[in-house]
Amino acid sequence: MANITSTFFEHLAQRGYEPLLHNVSGTLRFDIAGEGSWYIVVKNGSLAVSRDGAGADCVLVCRRGDFDRMVVGKQNPTTLFLQGNMKITGDLGLALMFERVFPDESLAGSEQGKKEGN
Amino acid sequence: MSEKTISVLEGNNFVVSDLRGDIDASPTETQGLFKWDTRFLSRWILTIDGLRPNVLSTDDLDYFYVQYFLVPGTGTIYVDADLSIIRKRAVGNGFHEDLTLLNHKDAPVDLKVRMEAGSDFADLFEVKDALKKKGEFYHRIEPDRLILGYCRENFVRETLIAASAKADIDERGLSFAVHIDPHGEWKTCLNVVVASPTIGEYREETTYGHGDQRSRSTVKKNLQKAGEAIPRLSCDWPSLQVTYQRSIVDLASLRFYALTLGGQAVPAAGLPWFMTIFGRDSMITSYQSLPFTSNAAIATLLVLAQRQGIRVDDFRDEEPGKIMHEARFGEMTAFEERPHSPYFGAADTTPLFLILLDEVERWTGNAGLVRQLEFEARAALRWIDEYGDRNGDGYVEYARRNQQTGLENQCWKDSWNSILFADGTNSRLPRATCEIQGYVYDAKVRSARLAREFWSDLALAERLEKEAAELKHRFNQDFWLADRQFFALAIDGDGRKVDSLTSNIGHLLWSGIVDQDKADAIVNHLMGPRLYSGWGVRTMAEGEGGYNPIGYHIGTVWPHDNSFIAMGLRRYGYRKEAARVAMDMLEAATYFKGRLPEAFAGYRRDQTEFPVEYPTACSPQAWASGAPLLLLRAILGLEPVGNHLIVDPAIPSRLGKIELLDIPGRWGHIDASGRGRIDTTAMESRPQPAQEKIVV
Repeated sequence: MANITSTFFEHLAQRGYEPLLHNVSGTLRFDIAGEGSWYIVVKNGSLAVSRDGAGADCVLVCRRGDFDRMVVGKQNPTTLFLQGNMKITGDLGLALMFERVFPDESLAGSEQGKKEGN
Repeated sequence: MSEKTISVLEGNNFVVSDLRGDIDASPTETQGLFKWDTRFLSRWILTIDGLRPNVLSTDDLDYFYVQYFLVPGTGTIYVDADLSIIRKRAVGNGFHEDLTLLNHKDAPVDLKVRMEAGSDFADLFEVKDALKKKGEFYHRIEPDRLILGYCRENFVRETLIAASAKADIDERGLSFAVHIDPHGEWKTCLNVVVASPTIGEYREETTYGHGDQRSRSTVKKNLQKAGEAIPRLSCDWPSLQVTYQRSIVDLASLRFYALTLGGQAVPAAGLPWFMTIFGRDSMITSYQSLPFTSNAAIATLLVLAQRQGIRVDDFRDEEPGKIMHEARFGEMTAFEERPHSPYFGAADTTPLFLILLDEVERWTGNAGLVRQLEFEARAALRWIDEYGDRNGDGYVEYARRNQQTGLENQCWKDSWNSILFADGTNSRLPRATCEIQGYVYDAKVRSARLAREFWSDLALAERLEKEAAELKHRFNQDFWLADRQFFALAIDGDGRKVDSLTSNIGHLLWSGIVDQDKADAIVNHLMGPRLYSGWGVRTMAEGEGGYNPIGYHIGTVWPHDNSFIAMGLRRYGYRKEAARVAMDMLEAATYFKGRLPEAFAGYRRDQTEFPVEYPTACSPQAWASGAPLLLLRAILGLEPVGNHLIVDPAIPSRLGKIELLDIPGRWGHIDASGRGRIDTTAMESRPQPAQEKIVV
């Protein structure tokens, strides 16, 4: 994988609509150390991703390594936040709901066997 | 909680101190200043000339505000004091304390006043289990404040302590050299700020400053607002008034302000261990409160929808569509030493979510909410069939995915030894407890109505109704113990019927899953001497192998359990029995000044004369505080039907006349009243059904 971070956002842009966010509207900005910023506009589940934008309702700041581990399903976003390794300012509810886009199943790789058969 | 402690709280910020106002935590004393499941002060000890004062009196004027009146300690027996010490404390983002010393002598005095401060920054889980810290402690002494800190990687918690009077600050506290003129006074403010730089709003000040706790109290204003909005109760039996007021105030105080919901309040479960969102407790309390206020129920549904499971995660027992069990914010949760971020180990929360959603609509007519949560409700329905029913036998059963720190029992009786056979042996996982099947039945019936009336999905409505009918039919065969004439507590992992007689059968009446021809037998058991203690229905019947009158879920009497049983009795037309359960429980409340505890012992009423509180119970506990409200609903017979509220009283005669004025709902406001005509004292314990005579 060339770059997990940018691939994640590319996939997000391609997704276009995420039903798990059907009740969610707002603007988020991820500031990822060493990678720069991404803006995401969510409107009732439809997603638009760009590299620049105006003010955001919610800003999330974290290290690239931590972000990539969230993408592949090795780091839970809530505990990353509780540990102090992801700073969130602004609308926490929006951040919480946006957690639902993690992990990116196509990048998760090793995570596919996780679902326990009943 | 110990009789010798006093608790004040605002949201998940609370202080447990002794009657002097001191905090002196030890492995056996759960004292401290807590927020976000972390203890920010474990020592806060006032001395005057090296001696700890004696307490004259303590007034908890408000649940977030308390005053302590003290006199100097003499080291010997009390002598006339010539100095008074007053501590006033308001809790909010830490606390603000006003310390005043009054000199009653004609001569000046010079005193050494010392406030000892320390923090172990324990996670609540560490307090409970006495575990060791993994990070580093530090302190900083600044010109005007002491900072106590703890860090583990980027996890940082700090306690900022400052005084308005001149103080000598060292790492273990603040010292004041105090001179007071004859008949004069000395004052200082002490600000203790809890700082969690990485969670929520970071403020370096307490919510309340000097002297403004009265005017700026948003909690108090909210409470007043709530007080105005809730129905007014009048009753010939004064104790019911006391209990009602106590319940309303306790429920207003037991709130958790969800950061993710713009600070809307959801019911927390109980003080001191459970000042957090619990799926089950928050929903049960919301349901109990619905005839009185619907705000908490709506906020609860929204918060739980936000946190609905979306993925399979063994550690958190998370599954798509599942409604969570418990959320925590402390260090052990952050570092995944505990799974509460949030934890999903509950099998009843998901059907309860659907039940509450329907019930809120029935009371409020809030169709917008039902449409807004359609996606989550459908996901919950899918969870029931796909994940809840693990083995495809048509029943919801549970077994934890998290073998290390997950809950073994994922029903409301969540202690490890609650699901026992009649011979006292433990059942095997996975367990399908009976009341969860009742909830699923009710959830499907109710969701069918929502699908038909609000989601325009007739096919779903018909499917759910068909499934519910089939479930009811199968359940009445598969769980029925023909020889004992009641429903098995559970079917266990070996397919065996867990045959203890328990209060769970009362929940089945509430859900409506019981075939009419079996109701008499169930009611006979509930009101019979083995289950009925005289104060209420025991969690497990006397005579069962596992029965213990002071066992947490195996013999104690739980008020919330009984409030649902009373509703179940009404549903099946057992008016007198419902009235009796209500009356006995309301009489029990009089022994606790109107505040029912989480649980009390299962001793026979004629044995102890008064209800014996269960030793380590939380108090106040939200669903115990909610129990009198649901009992009121049961005896007034309040049922919303369309845009009307049906009132069908079945009131114990001892209560006399009851009036409940301005019941809010889709009808606007309606009054309900009734006169007590049921002599519950004349009711003998019902005989057990003679087993050999019953023809099945």
